[in-house]
Amino acid sequence: MWSGRGQFSSALLSLVLLPMIVIAILVAVMFWVSFQKGAFGTPSAVYTLANYREVFSDPFVYRVAANTLIFTATATFVALLFGLPIAWLAERTTIAGKTLIYAIMTLGLLIPGIYTAMGWTLIAHPRIGILNRWLIDLFALTDSPINIATPIGMGFVQGLSLSALAFILTAQMFRAMNPSLEEAARVHGMGYGKILRRVTLPLAMPGILAAVIYILTIGIATFDIPAILGLGNRVYMLSTFIYLKVHPQGAGLPEYGITGVVGVFMILVAGLLTLWYGQVLRQGHRFEVVTGKGYKPTLIPLGGWSVLAWGLIFVYAFMSKILPLLLIAYAAMTPYFVPPSWAMMSQLSLTHFYTLNWELVLRGLTNTAILVTVVPLAVVLLGFTISWLIVRSRNRARYALEFGAFLPHALPEVILAIGALLFALFVLGTTIPLYGSVWIIAIVYIVARLAFATRALNGSLLQIHRELEEAAFVAGLSHVKTAWRVLFPLIRPTLFSVWIWTALLVYRELTVAVFLTVQDNITLPAVIWSYWYGGIINKASAVTLVMTLVLTPLILAFWWFGRRSQVSVN
Amino acid sequence: MTGQESKARRVQRCFVWATALLFSWGSVAPQATATTLKELIEGAKKEGVLHGQWGGNSYGGAEGFPEIIAGMNKRYNLNLKGQFTPGPDMQRLMLRVIQENAAGQPGSTDVYLGNSQAIFDGLKSDTLKPMTFDKFIENIPKPEGNFGAIAPKGTHVAFASTMVGLLYNTNLVKGADVPRRINDVLNPKWKGKIASTPYAAGLREFATPDFLGREKMIEFTKKLSKQIAGLMRCGESERITSGEFLMLAFTCGGNDVNVMKRSGAPLAHTVMEEGTVVHTRYAAVPKNSRSPNAGALLINYLMTAEGQELLWKYDGLDLHLFPGSQTKRELDAVRAAKGKIIISSPEWLASYKDYSKTQKELEAILREGGK
Repeated sequence: MWSGRGQFSSALLSLVLLPMIVIAILVAVMFWVSFQKGAFGTPSAVYTLANYREVFSDPFVYRVAANTLIFTATATFVALLFGLPIAWLAERTTIAGKTLIYAIMTLGLLIPGIYTAMGWTLIAHPRIGILNRWLIDLFALTDSPINIATPIGMGFVQGLSLSALAFILTAQMFRAMNPSLEEAARVHGMGYGKILRRVTLPLAMPGILAAVIYILTIGIATFDIPAILGLGNRVYMLSTFIYLKVHPQGAGLPEYGITGVVGVFMILVAGLLTLWYGQVLRQGHRFEVVTGKGYKPTLIPLGGWSVLAWGLIFVYAFMSKILPLLLIAYAAMTPYFVPPSWAMMSQLSLTHFYTLNWELVLRGLTNTAILVTVVPLAVVLLGFTISWLIVRSRNRARYALEFGAFLPHALPEVILAIGALLFALFVLGTTIPLYGSVWIIAIVYIVARLAFATRALNGSLLQIHRELEEAAFVAGLSHVKTAWRVLFPLIRPTLFSVWIWTALLVYRELTVAVFLTVQDNITLPAVIWSYWYGGIINKASAVTLVMTLVLTPLILAFWWFGRRSQVSVN
Repeated sequence: MTGQESKARRVQRCFVWATALLFSWGSVAPQATATTLKELIEGAKKEGVLHGQWGGNSYGGAEGFPEIIAGMNKRYNLNLKGQFTPGPDMQRLMLRVIQENAAGQPGSTDVYLGNSQAIFDGLKSDTLKPMTFDKFIENIPKPEGNFGAIAPKGTHVAFASTMVGLLYNTNLVKGADVPRRINDVLNPKWKGKIASTPYAAGLREFATPDFLGREKMIEFTKKLSKQIAGLMRCGESERITSGEFLMLAFTCGGNDVNVMKRSGAPLAHTVMEEGTVVHTRYAAVPKNSRSPNAGALLINYLMTAEGQELLWKYDGLDLHLFPGSQTKRELDAVRAAKGKIIISSPEWLASYKDYSKTQKELEAILREGGK
């Protein structure tokens, strides 16, 4: 047992030192490569500022940056447009079928972004988009009115994909919200609309702001949808720009130096966003909504509005989940890919399932299972420790921790992966054989997901008043016992959310895996990507379908358990 | 050189030496490789496993590889286990193997199968293991002119070939509309409806002095870049079947059309009247191969009639040097039409010092819309 809070903080600090060292190394590698030109890791590489000059003097880079800005703003807007109201409906109203809402929002995560992008290509592509064809026929137009392959179009598709994240980031905040202020407002004659505007939303503002910051940074760094919709149509974002520099499509060596410069730029952006977020945190005490007294959330009766609410959820589910899933099923059974038609329906078969290389699929599944087991546990443990240090301790290192934990989120995963790749290849070498192993992927996943865990846990810990822990200390409980018996039960829903969301994100994560996969360490999403990248859409779809079908019952069971557990806590 | 630069170089040198020392401890030990087929088989037996990596749609990918291994096991009375992982495209995979070799790590693949450009990169970085292929390959075809299957220094073997041309959707591009000459793709009716490749396939070879020349192709590519709706990779033929693009100008070969047509896909491939470039597929054993004997044995197997049949079955290509080759038949038709034919090989690429520079230039024009 630790005698004082300071000693306890120091012990926790030593635990979180390891991921912080990893983050520092990956960032240092970025700085290091940003000053190098030539074949990295060979004597021909020289130290220079040429990469910085090249990036900042290239008008193409500014076009890319402008595209990224438009794309990110659109994605954030669309994500909140769906995610925020659905979270509010699920947590603050009497809407029926809450487990189903959670399942809908979660299942979407299993569908790789490439399929949402593909689905929207079939809906809104200028030539093959069903919606465009319909509008042309209806209004006798000569040109297609919608083009999905623009920064706004891609931002819309990305926003649909990120709505689930906006939902989960804000749901827990609505769940833990103290209803006494709303009730007081109601007693004073305020209507629901006014209460929502003047009480609920201001109370929720730190959570919403955190979600905005989080989604903004994802938007800047995201890869799959810009890659599928943008690369082929020559609309580039920062992430696809980096990809092209690292993976020259034809002649030339990978330009890691340019990637490093963009990485350094991202670190600066992360710094600014962290400062902003830090300000929100410092004012966090104003938003503590769970106290030791009278914490009993009440729900708003929806009545007839339920139909409209479910309408919104259905529209969202159809656009972002059902359509891509139907498309996956169709693509998995067609002999070759053409837009759906009655003529093609007669040619559907299960051939692609029979002819799959199951050894490859099982290898991918085994590695994914290892990652899904190890990474979420590590993330929950480290995330809680970091959050506790940030929110509860007075240790000066908490600012560094906050910055360190947030940094990987602002860095495109491509950059984290490249940092890990170069470090494992050229520094660790065969001394610590991480290159080509599943553990290098696990390490990058852990540090990459810490930002998500700490965002969620910071919010929850902020909402729990210190008086509960102080009461426990007065009663003679140690720090560990206080955490176990007071904090854990109160934030169990958040811990559960972090665990399952990390598991799901790891289950479907692609970017890092694509960069770090060699032979033995291939993951299931990387198997899908390799089929997709090779132009074998049918087999990629077949594996995706298997991947989704296997996990669907498990997810439903998890959410059922999760909601039961939450009810018991409340 | 300034003092600061020399200090930076010293730091760099120290790092490289330290890294080299680190790698020399426990790095991939060079393995003895057999010189006769019998020794090769014995060596492969001891190695036991063959790791393969290339594009998912190349040479049958994940589905074709087990059949190749089964064929090898039967033919050479082995019990070799195969592990295939789909990898990136040919040049990127070679860059990965080069990087792994430089870092003292085992290669991602025990045997490399790819194009002449990638082999050219592998030769420049000294990543390919010289072997006595002429001693153990059972079925060596006769050379055609100065083009032979086995490289003089034994670093690589040509095992298949296919011809550059134009890929199109037969439901959407019909009859007289099908481009016959290179300039036909600039017809305004195709504006915003066709694609090219991000790596300037075909264009880069047409830009050599042997064909149309650099200046002419730069001008052509600028016009083409304004004409196209986007970029797609070779092998993504389903973007043509879906109608996203009506045609691809130009391809890396018509081999995937040969395969997809069997399932009724509305695709066709045509060679331009000006002529074509034969894209040769090469095999080599990287110096950091974990199973060099098994890798070399796979190369030998692909050169057998059985191996060539498998290549045709899964990837729609074979080596035009073999008398019964299907690719030879296609090539003879171009010859009969008096089209110009160039065979792309690492040696041919090496004869143009500006080849890579021109390719980069063409890629940038295509990427940035001809601006």
